[in-house]
Amino acid sequence: MSSFYLDAGTTWSKILEVKEDGKRTYSVLHSCDLPEEREYIKTTGHRAKGLKTRGHVNEIVALSKGSQECLGNNGVILDLGSRDAKWVKYKNGKFSDMDWNSACGSATGATVEMLLKFYDIKAEQLSPQDEKYSITCGIFAMEKIMDDISKGIPADIAISKFIHGLAFNAFKFTKEPQELLLSGGFCENKCFMDSLNKYCNALPLGRFVLVDGLLY
Amino acid sequence: MKYFHLPSECSESAAKTLGVSLEPEIVTETRNIIGFWGYPEPAVMEEHKKLYPKAKWIDLDIDFGNPPDKNRSKALPEAYCKIIKNIFDNAFHMRENIIKIIAPVGKDKCDSAFFAASILKEEGFDVQTTVFEQTALRKPTPLCKSAIPLRKKIEMITDSIVNGTENHPKFAPCEPRFGFWGVPPNDLSLLELFPDNTHAYGWIRCVEAGVPADLELEMQIDPDVPTVFFAQTFCAKNQPAKYLADKYNGLYIDVDGYVNESVKAKIEAFLQLR
Repeated sequence: MSSFYLDAGTTWSKILEVKEDGKRTYSVLHSCDLPEEREYIKTTGHRAKGLKTRGHVNEIVALSKGSQECLGNNGVILDLGSRDAKWVKYKNGKFSDMDWNSACGSATGATVEMLLKFYDIKAEQLSPQDEKYSITCGIFAMEKIMDDISKGIPADIAISKFIHGLAFNAFKFTKEPQELLLSGGFCENKCFMDSLNKYCNALPLGRFVLVDGLLY
Repeated sequence: MKYFHLPSECSESAAKTLGVSLEPEIVTETRNIIGFWGYPEPAVMEEHKKLYPKAKWIDLDIDFGNPPDKNRSKALPEAYCKIIKNIFDNAFHMRENIIKIIAPVGKDKCDSAFFAASILKEEGFDVQTTVFEQTALRKPTPLCKSAIPLRKKIEMITDSIVNGTENHPKFAPCEPRFGFWGVPPNDLSLLELFPDNTHAYGWIRCVEAGVPADLELEMQIDPDVPTVFFAQTFCAKNQPAKYLADKYNGLYIDVDGYVNESVKAKIEAFLQLR
């Protein structure tokens, strides 16, 4: 019989199945499609509340535990999700600092997904731009995108500038580290990773860091 | 003999002592509230306690759930400190019952309260401003160091502004596991997230020490105690809160009105990981 662990994000859910022989299988599901009848050993994330679970874990705690091996004694990990961003810093092997930005979620993953869908562009078409939009406010940034597109700039370039702004924000939000570990769907977005690498050494850990943290 | 606008709660003996006379036409049964905010100058409070021995003292800073008053929007932008909003909403909601407002306007409170006092006066309230800035006499702060629940600590400290500490039992100090720095939040449920062995610092400790304008004491913390630095959104105290959190590797949070799930989660994570 398998044991299930769940990181239920706003848009996407990451599931870890651990079989009796210890074999692990990871999957990603749209959060709207989560089976309601399944009981999880542990859950984390906004969308997990209301589901059957033996224990709900704080997201920053899950991020911290799931990244500890990679972080080592000193390091910063940022989880960039659909609607929020959170990071944890370790210094001398101990938790040192953290932050969680959930108030202005318009400038994160869900916005990028909507932009790509709206302009019918694949993430692979995006290329890193030297120019960036200031996206302290996502709504103002959207206005900039639309302004640029109306002036004839191709949508993929405008969205790439937006993503550059997002990467810059991620760097500033984590207090400008030299090296930054990244968790979440943006690990698979080359344009974002290349943009972030303009500012620091960005290392992608993938989408399953939080769900791995539930094993501890 | 001078004539003062005094309601029925004014003791006759106090009136005689002060050489004043009750003016009969404004005496009613319902005007029985002294409104105040912050930490009024104690001598002014004592004077008014003698003058109105039966009056109820209501802390206008507190969120009593009164609906937003239309008069408030004349003075305050929508994005503004929730505590000052409370002052306006409470004052206008209880307008018919308020005898007088005792209004701290010095460094013991804030500039917003200074303007609020002036505006409420212009709106017809009887407002007496006070400034309580002495810093020489710091009293001990047993409640801040005690092991009683943080919310209870802070409620007892604010209650002691009017009622004193004579009826408090003796509190043994505890070793602090965490610290909470700041003012009483609008949403007191935030305090329930902390364990009982949380020490209180900041303005709330200054209040227990009887020195609400003592910036030196307000800026003191225990550097080895993991501390959450709280300020109400749009309050100038965000400045020291942010500065101290950065300096002592604490957690800085500001909350506008009510605590949301994300703020709770952030505090929970800090308490679990530190």
